[in-house]
Amino acid sequence: MSKSKYLVVLLLGALVISGFSLSSISTPAKAQDGGAVIAPVACAEPGELTMWVWDENWGKIIGDSIAAWEEAYCPGAEVDLQVVPWGEYWDVLTANAPTGELPDVFNMAQDRFYFYAKNDVLLNLQPYWDAAGVDTTVWGTGLVDPYRWGETNDLYAGPVNWDTVAVYYNTDMFEAAGLELPTADWTWDDFAEAARALTNADEDVYGAAVYMEYQSGYPNWIAATGTTPDVEAGQTRCTLQDEGSLEALNFLKGLYDEGVMPSVSIVGGSSADDVFNYWASGRVAMITGGSWKLPDALKIEDFGWDVVQLPKHPETGRSRSILHAVGYVANRQTENADLAANLILYLVSDEGQQFFAEAGGVAPANPSPELQQMWIDSFGETEVNVQAFVDATVDSQGVTVFGEIWDAINSEIVLNIFDLGLSVEDAAQLACEFIDTQLPE
Amino acid sequence: MSSILNLFGKTPLTRRRALWGLLLIAPNTIGLFLFFGWPILQSFRISFYEWNAFNTPRFVDIENFQRLYDDPMFRKSLTNTLKLVGLVVPLEMGLSLLIALLLNQRLRGRIIFRTIYFLPVVTSTVAASIVWTFVFQRRYGLMATLLEPFGYGDLNWMVDPDLVLFPIVVVTVWQRIGFDMILFLAGLQNVPRVLHEAAMIDGANRWQRFRHVTLPMLSPTTFLVMTLATISSFQIFDQVYIMTARTIRGGVGGSARTLSLYLYESGFGQSSEYGYASAIAFILFMIILTITILQLAAQRRWVYYETESG
Repeated sequence: MSKSKYLVVLLLGALVISGFSLSSISTPAKAQDGGAVIAPVACAEPGELTMWVWDENWGKIIGDSIAAWEEAYCPGAEVDLQVVPWGEYWDVLTANAPTGELPDVFNMAQDRFYFYAKNDVLLNLQPYWDAAGVDTTVWGTGLVDPYRWGETNDLYAGPVNWDTVAVYYNTDMFEAAGLELPTADWTWDDFAEAARALTNADEDVYGAAVYMEYQSGYPNWIAATGTTPDVEAGQTRCTLQDEGSLEALNFLKGLYDEGVMPSVSIVGGSSADDVFNYWASGRVAMITGGSWKLPDALKIEDFGWDVVQLPKHPETGRSRSILHAVGYVANRQTENADLAANLILYLVSDEGQQFFAEAGGVAPANPSPELQQMWIDSFGETEVNVQAFVDATVDSQGVTVFGEIWDAINSEIVLNIFDLGLSVEDAAQLACEFIDTQLPE
Repeated sequence: MSSILNLFGKTPLTRRRALWGLLLIAPNTIGLFLFFGWPILQSFRISFYEWNAFNTPRFVDIENFQRLYDDPMFRKSLTNTLKLVGLVVPLEMGLSLLIALLLNQRLRGRIIFRTIYFLPVVTSTVAASIVWTFVFQRRYGLMATLLEPFGYGDLNWMVDPDLVLFPIVVVTVWQRIGFDMILFLAGLQNVPRVLHEAAMIDGANRWQRFRHVTLPMLSPTTFLVMTLATISSFQIFDQVYIMTARTIRGGVGGSARTLSLYLYESGFGQSSEYGYASAIAFILFMIILTITILQLAAQRRWVYYETESG
């Protein structure tokens, strides 16, 4: 591709994506009256497909749904489904690219989509959505906008699931401190007050740890101020030096400076899993965690716990969660484009998504209320407020970071502020300097 | 034709022997070319391209090398690598020689000690790095407990940019001294006793015998250990990759990023910049090659081979 052509593609991509407002309120689940939200259609002609997923459990669920698709909608079709573990998934994809041996259908993450779309690897699924009569706005903007590309905002992926973030809290600690349990209408001030009361410095017990990682950490707080965290939609600029970002980060830094939140090195790592394990060990009362941690949390027997929506910003009155959805995409060079699109349509349909809803753990992206309820019910007779995660989808923030930013900068800014004691302003400036080098020219 | 044949020997017998020799080393030579030589050449070629595996490779001349020159992260990685080489090589050599000297004595249970010192060599670097990360964990780690009485219990080993290279040096040295110790032990056992006896008759004390007999006789081993330690220190990767993974890979602001890690991240990061990564690999290759050639050239001045006269 010539340099000018390459620039045009980049510019068009940036313009198209900037047309979206990822920070806008996402569409709540809506089902068409009486019918399915997304209905599958029979394939025109069976054939052979290869498909890659990165999660062993998903592999099993998707395997079952593929078998149902082959039986009901595409007899004679054959899908070679492979689980390539997450640790090597992207490397294997990259290694296979020059030989042209990419799978026909594969899983995609929102922060990675930009690279694959920019390099023209993916099949545009929009004509297939249109042909099947799928209104792609049934999915909340946070689920699908990061998967849109091209001049007409075409949707290149079918969303598999959704993840949102809420506050996991130790009810025993709340009761011991004589505090009322939080409710969905609590504010940042209520949160700070509780965190202070729950801290016991003498015993190394902290009130909260809520800043770790992009998806479960500080960006949720920035989003509540009305600012898009880290990178503006459309990859146009760094937002960490915006007023809302500085306000949110300074709020968290204030709690850290007071000794209410532990440093990264005290927790022992900067990942969401590290902070979850720290919470599970009973050393911190409140953490922000994703819906995907529910199955792990349900195994905790040492203390009582529950989940509540993120506290509301005192002025905007908004509680906002970062939302991420894994997608199914198809290879642009597949020999069976129609079949690949037909399979994806089935996998995201009410029927296909039922396999996920029943299996539990992974919340189905399909907004059918029945499926969402099925997902909640999959956790059994629990007292836990699973609904908080569903409610969090209503005012959620889609992923706008991409490429190296996701990997590098989120840990860097967290460590600079919540470990090395850099001021929020300095850390934000450093982060923006890096982000600027990554933005499309 | 006969002149080519003459290269293999002047008589049919020597020619046949030479051909057999060539035939026997052929598998290794071919393997070396296919799996080392060819990739090195390819990597050099790719370093002049912009290629991310998904696009059509585009020839960019020396743009990747110019970018390296202006890239602060490349400079940082190079500096870190040089610091690690400067710290690891002397420590590794000094400690392994010291242990080899101790275990060369007639100590009770020296076989057990030799085994213990060799164990880290056969331990997976990944497993060892993970365990050492716990040792260096702030406040709760073993190192924090040991240093607590001296007032250094809260050192932030794995995050503080001024400290983060230290745990990496410790793990690397700990893991390598066993192998070097074996080389030194072999070298020490090749020092003829007669030389020590002659020196003793001349009235040399223990230090003088070490300085003027053991060290010169050990110089070929010392040279070998130094060359191997230098090359592998320039290639430090696993320890940094694993030990900084829980906080931030490569350390805050790249404070622990080595050239090998940087080339890996460039090539296998989200943007898969193979051309740029190949340029880093080529520079790293040239640095190691130059230093090894310099070491080979300098050895004539200080390495003593027993077969030499004088």
